[in-house]
Amino acid sequence: MAKPFKSTRRGITGALEPGEARLLGALLDDVISMLEPETGPSDDPLAALVGMSGADADATAPDDSAVRRLLPDAIRGDDDEALAFRRLTERSLREQKIGALRGSALLIESSPMTLNGEQGRLLAQALNDVRLVLADRLSIETEEDAERLHDVADSKDVDNVDSYLALVYNFITWLQESLVQAMLKAAKLQR
Amino acid sequence: MTVGFAIGTDTKEEVRTAEKTDLDQPWVVVVWNDPVNLMSYVSFVFQTYFGYSEAKARTLMLEVHEAGRSAVCSGTREKVEQDTVALHSYGLWATFEKAGSE
Repeated sequence: MAKPFKSTRRGITGALEPGEARLLGALLDDVISMLEPETGPSDDPLAALVGMSGADADATAPDDSAVRRLLPDAIRGDDDEALAFRRLTERSLREQKIGALRGSALLIESSPMTLNGEQGRLLAQALNDVRLVLADRLSIETEEDAERLHDVADSKDVDNVDSYLALVYNFITWLQESLVQAMLKAAKLQR
Repeated sequence: MTVGFAIGTDTKEEVRTAEKTDLDQPWVVVVWNDPVNLMSYVSFVFQTYFGYSEAKARTLMLEVHEAGRSAVCSGTREKVEQDTVALHSYGLWATFEKAGSE
């Protein structure tokens, strides 16, 4: 079983078992492939020149509910405004997320891990995106839904795909909680 | 939001400290409750991204959790647009709106 993350003088330390690192690596890859832009890079040289590569005139709200949760509307109650804003910002948000996911996939390859603040932040972001996707697949829509899954804590509780996903979700949740607690502790010590 | 079950959760004292977002500004960023994001993580994001104190981050986090939404910062339209996208990069469910349009 993975060791919880700890705040130490050298940084945030933690360690995954090889099987856990492989599983998490595969999940990170899955989320990366979900976020890769559906349309090619902008071929407008002027847009590239003025640094508007974050813009994507063809973007629409994603069909997949998990991707829509990763890239939510920034404006409520006005679909046209929300879409216009999405077209300006969605591509760079996808790229930012993919960067954090790729960086995290590299970080978890070493065991034990020793993370600086920036690396810890990237890993926490990536774990959060993985959890958002798993939660969508598990149809977690209310806090009661989330609590029901807490019981699946051991591989002997697993008897179908959903209980396996729940076990994975609980593991990633535990991992993220331990990472965030270690970072909050480190931040407190700094003050 | 959800509570990480590995480590004990916080107490609910000092919830209603008076620190309030400055609503004189014309636009606000609203963070919405969802059943996935960890309470600790939401506090962490408020501290890390906005530079809020532990107490202020916690008050806002609990407001999101209990009231379902909280206006977490305010400013010009340009600023709230940028903050909203930054919160999306952390996976928080954020929108921006004109102050007072709730």
